[in-house]
Amino acid sequence: MDVLHQLLGGFAVALQPINLFWALVGCILGTAVGVLPGIGPALTIALLLPVTAQVAPESAFIMFAGILYGALYGGSTTSILLNMPGESGSVMTAIEGSRMARNGRGAAALATAAVGSFVAGTIGTLALTFLAPAIAELAFIFGPEDYFALMILSFTSVAVVMGSSRIRGFTALFCGLALGTIGIDTQTGQSRMVFGTLELLDGVSFTVVLVALFAIGETLYVASRQSRRAAVVYPLSGGAWMTREDWRRSWKPWLRGALIGFPIGSLPAGGTEIPTFLSYTVERRLSARPEEFGHGAIEGVAGPEAANNAAAAGILVPLLTLGLPSTATAAVLLAAFQNYGLQPGPLLFATNPDLLWGLIASLFVGNIILLVLNLPLVGIWVRLLLIPRPYIYGGIVVFALVGVWGLSTSWMDLLLMCGLGLIGYVARVYDFPIAPALIGLILGPQAEIQLRRALAVSQGDWSVLVGTPIAASFLVIAVLVFFLPMIMTKFRGAVQQESKA
Amino acid sequence: MPSSDRRKDKAVAARPWWLGAAVFAMGLLWLHGAQGIASTTNFIGLGPAAMIRMVGAGLAILGMLLILQALRGVPFMPQEEEGADAAAPPSRPAFLLALAGIAVPLATIRMLGFPLTAIFAFALVTHAFGSRRTLLDLAIGAVIGAASWYGFSLLGIELGPFLPVAGW
Repeated sequence: MDVLHQLLGGFAVALQPINLFWALVGCILGTAVGVLPGIGPALTIALLLPVTAQVAPESAFIMFAGILYGALYGGSTTSILLNMPGESGSVMTAIEGSRMARNGRGAAALATAAVGSFVAGTIGTLALTFLAPAIAELAFIFGPEDYFALMILSFTSVAVVMGSSRIRGFTALFCGLALGTIGIDTQTGQSRMVFGTLELLDGVSFTVVLVALFAIGETLYVASRQSRRAAVVYPLSGGAWMTREDWRRSWKPWLRGALIGFPIGSLPAGGTEIPTFLSYTVERRLSARPEEFGHGAIEGVAGPEAANNAAAAGILVPLLTLGLPSTATAAVLLAAFQNYGLQPGPLLFATNPDLLWGLIASLFVGNIILLVLNLPLVGIWVRLLLIPRPYIYGGIVVFALVGVWGLSTSWMDLLLMCGLGLIGYVARVYDFPIAPALIGLILGPQAEIQLRRALAVSQGDWSVLVGTPIAASFLVIAVLVFFLPMIMTKFRGAVQQESKA
Repeated sequence: MPSSDRRKDKAVAARPWWLGAAVFAMGLLWLHGAQGIASTTNFIGLGPAAMIRMVGAGLAILGMLLILQALRGVPFMPQEEEGADAAAPPSRPAFLLALAGIAVPLATIRMLGFPLTAIFAFALVTHAFGSRRTLLDLAIGAVIGAASWYGFSLLGIELGPFLPVAGW
């Protein structure tokens, strides 16, 4: 009952007119960036971080939550009507959704995606509501060595799971860790790796790194390798919305997608790619008409889209309870918390219940706003796709400039933006993942603090790092995650040999 | 030949060993930087240089592994991005124009201010993406630049004087 009571308090915050306004702004912005290429939720929130200085934390996070969920809704629109999945979680939606649109059933595909997103987003948020405080309670018993082990698990997971090779994943992670060491050491006050530059004493700003790697890196990459194929938007007019048959075929995949998406999204580096792929496979197996898959099966849109949204709610579990980001967007949200001098974790539930419960309640409200914004108004969002590409990228660069120059009107920040933007370009050309670098940058300094704290308490005895069952378990899981690709390759090989035999 | 195969062939032929060398050099730089950090005698456990040393060693090892990957012919394939053709040959003029748009603020922003800089950056990037309507691009850039400067200053984000060279 306590949770329900707290949630009601959250609704009292989220339903204040000013917060409803910010939720609407977030949902509109989120849907727009989900539809537009080149700009995602992580970058949008990062560019808006300076605004947090002027807006109350509750309002800012309610807006950010709207952007997070809105981008998923917008992403499904481009996947279905353009066959262009903006991010990896929308790839499976695009397969069946675009075929449905080509067959004149785009409206039905958009409707099942939007309602499925609403259903799964609500289920995911409900699970977050009840699960987050319980996990946060658990975190009270964590010592510094346990936190350190958890961060090692998080590092290993993002480096192994994101990207095509472990070496490249770890390289990105270590580059982020290296950037995180620049500046004044918080424990001894000594300057480190500043190369004689006073501007670097405060460290490298997370916003500069994110804007450079995402916005600048992508602009350079897309400019140099522009696709000559004109985007084909499948028309919406004439198609019917969901029929009774469509509803009958969609509701189970929505629920199954939510059940698959939320737990996987809650894991460190679980992300949205694996649950959407899994949901698609499950729906194809369970479908009464598997032959329709690949030709526009509605279950293939309903399931993955639900899994995608539920996973997004799941991503908030480790972030809000343990302060552990598992995606680039979660890392930006963590940076936003830090901007307010807040550290997500168990204490935040006790010290700032209005903020956290207001944020959770706003996810429910945001889902309703998004359903209203996306179903009847989808025609308007599609018009965003008519904006010529040169203007989209020109605008992105100007807003990147606002984000970086607006931090502290520092020329050094602009120089870093150019340098790191070139690194972002090289990362795209040679297939290095970006997210591990961001997570290394934001989590590295915290991991260092926990490591030094654990070793200070143990008088320099390194065995303390495996001294508690929690720390030892996390480290064992980290080792298993490290070897996961090898085990998977062997397993696949064995299965293939068996099937040949 | 499908475009993914073409991409793979090109990627194998490239052998970008220099990537590993750059990461290795960064590792050495961090290891060298750790030498310059004075160790505190009264600190129990790890000093401020330890993390720098660990990260430097990690980067150096990863750099060597990347060099090995490149020399063994492991493909380094361009990523699929919305609106980009990963298999297409890169256009150097477009890349340089976009880079100019991104770098132009370094030269102009302190003297000409944010709105004028935004005009140049916007127009250079739109030209990198194939637009040839220079006047229209400059006009749109002016509207976006001035509106951003004014709008964000209302939100409390300081973007510097409007035109510093004129003292505005």
